[in-house]
Amino acid sequence: MTDITLKIREIATRLLQSDQVDVFVGWEKGPQEYQTRPFFVRRVEDVEKLVFNEYSIHNLTNYLLKYRDSTDRVGLVVKGCDSRGIVRLLQDNQFKRNRLYIVGVCCPGIKDPLKIAKNQSGLACPPNNEEIADKCTRCLVPNPIIYDELLGESQEPHNSGERFSEIKTIENMDPNQRYQFFEDTLTQCIRCYACRQVCVACNCRTCIFDEMKPQWVGRENSTTDNMMYHLVKAMHMAGRCIECGECERVCPVNIPLMLINSKLVKDMDHFFGSYEAGMEYVEGQKPPLSVYNPDDPDDFI
Amino acid sequence: MQVIDKNKIVPLLDRLSKQSEVFVPTVKGSESGFYSWNSLNGAKEIALEALNVYHSPKNVLFPQTERMYSIEQGKQVFSIPDTFQDEKSRIIFGIRACDAKAITCFDDVFLTHGYEDSFYATRRKNTIIIGNACYQPGANCFCSSMGINPVQPDADVVIHDAGTVYAWEAITVTGQQFTEQVQDLLEEKDLGLPQLKPFSTEFDYDGVVEKLQGMFDHEIWHELAEPCMNCGTCTYMCPSCHCFDIQVKIWGDKGYRFRCWDSCMYTEYTAEAGGGNPRPDSQDRFRNRFLHKLEFFTERYDYPLCTGCGRCISVCPNGINIIDIIKRIKEVDKIV
Ligand code: SF4
Ligand code: SF4
Ligand code: SF4
Ligand code: SF4
Ligand code: SF4
Repeated sequence: MTDITLKIREIATRLLQSDQVDVFVGWEKGPQEYQTRPFFVRRVEDVEKLVFNEYSIHNLTNYLLKYRDSTDRVGLVVKGCDSRGIVRLLQDNQFKRNRLYIVGVCCPGIKDPLKIAKNQSGLACPPNNEEIADKCTRCLVPNPIIYDELLGESQEPHNSGERFSEIKTIENMDPNQRYQFFEDTLTQCIRCYACRQVCVACNCRTCIFDEMKPQWVGRENSTTDNMMYHLVKAMHMAGRCIECGECERVCPVNIPLMLINSKLVKDMDHFFGSYEAGMEYVEGQKPPLSVYNPDDPDDFI
Repeated sequence: MQVIDKNKIVPLLDRLSKQSEVFVPTVKGSESGFYSWNSLNGAKEIALEALNVYHSPKNVLFPQTERMYSIEQGKQVFSIPDTFQDEKSRIIFGIRACDAKAITCFDDVFLTHGYEDSFYATRRKNTIIIGNACYQPGANCFCSSMGINPVQPDADVVIHDAGTVYAWEAITVTGQQFTEQVQDLLEEKDLGLPQLKPFSTEFDYDGVVEKLQGMFDHEIWHELAEPCMNCGTCTYMCPSCHCFDIQVKIWGDKGYRFRCWDSCMYTEYTAEAGGGNPRPDSQDRFRNRFLHKLEFFTERYDYPLCTGCGRCISVCPNGINIIDIIKRIKEVDKIV
């Protein structure tokens, strides 16, 4: 990965020196060994701090939303999963392709610094897995889908076992059992909305959950309001979630959000497929649910 | 010195929870927090010997959602049939100094400076706090730099881990009365208390407030805030953050008002009825968090709103580290 780091620094230097970008988004090392974190370079002097290492887990494409109203041209580093986020933003007309310089990295699989931080914090909790991140064990696209420059050796998908096996278990529960499962799980949610904030598919200017006139979803921490939040969020993620896993990673109370997202992915493919969000970018092409088609299936409604 | 044998902790908790709701640091599934002893049937994995638990006990005195009063719209009149005051007696058992100091912050916010929050006051009045002295600070702990003595939590009684027993120290009058009730579980013993282990991080906090007073428009905020996604996790997990919103639930002509946690990290927090928002950008919200913790609160109450528990450092998905930020603030020499 040192190679990749050096190449990223080289590219960032070139882009900044030749005034091709205003800001370059990558990672730097934090105070602790494992604490790699997002880093924003505007001056060539800072390029030296850029790194790509086993903890470069963050999906940096979400930061593009910070620049959507500016004229800044942005260079950024993406792994396979993250690159699907760029497709998402382009399809949603949130960003212009010509303002982006995308450095793609073929991803060998990454570890989650948050898990290690939690393990090392001394706070009582069962130990977290410090090896390859959960999302990487399900990853189908380690190699970026859209890029201007590609780094690293092409990688095989890291997923193993049957895809959607967990979903099938839940689908096979009887309705009461399934309801109970979701009630038990979702009542734990503290409604901090971190899962929304880090999500690149959540790019609405005013989120339905922030709407106060009228207030569509109550802010009470109760079974009803929690279920409502997760149901609405799920509906809004259908066909949009690119499976970057950030929501589940950042959730402070370990809500298995990817379980919900996987079900959406599976159903979208089944009803509107074959389709998988953010897998290719064709200018002007609209994903299902972004357009109305008279032949859309509706027998599940 | 009075001590309680470690084997007597469970009988003590069992007994106390007959009269009060007792909140004990425990591990529950993948989480740990202060859970009500009676709600923990079966495996009760007490975490008194761990550094601390993941969720602070702020929920006990300041629940995430709390009903305030019910409302009813009659034909002619509008009435308030009930106001909810929670008078249940509670015990927070085994709180660490950082989290106990956060309760002192709440006391100042909710009970002083000319306004008493009756909901908080009622809960507080009926809550006894048993502190657990902290001799082995963790990787992200920096309470001592924030003016807190880890072995002397703000509490009614403080217990000190001394091997097979806890030394028992009644601090307040409430603590003395409480001690009398459990006297039969205590014994007299001569023993030495452990030595406080060194902190991995210590810094001189002096001067930070004065520095910040001139830094509102400093360019450094841009750089510090850039990685922040305003996810709010840091404020929800913080033992001392205490912002709330007041909202309403209505069905037909009946309903109730409640308050619920809120955070200055959210756009909606400062949204105005007319559509304006004085803190439109992510950076404005980020700056508010640090200014409130490190400057505004001290200006009003004379000590910072950060108690150095280190939780926000462990949970921030983007590696934002308050110790780092304090150090950066100290290094700023140019005051704009
Ligand atoms: S991040 Fe987790 S706790 Fe926060 S709103 Fe999302 S699911 Fe709930
Ligand atoms: S819902 Fe979760 S996994 Fe899907 S795009 Fe958003 S953050 Fe990524
Ligand atoms: S946890 Fe980190 S990213 Fe989230 S709001 Fe706090 S500082 Fe920002
Ligand atoms: S700001 Fe961070 S370190 Fe300070 S009290 Fe809150 S969570 Fe703890
Ligand atoms: S830091 Fe923000 S959320 Fe926390 S108490 Fe202050 S204003 Fe409220």
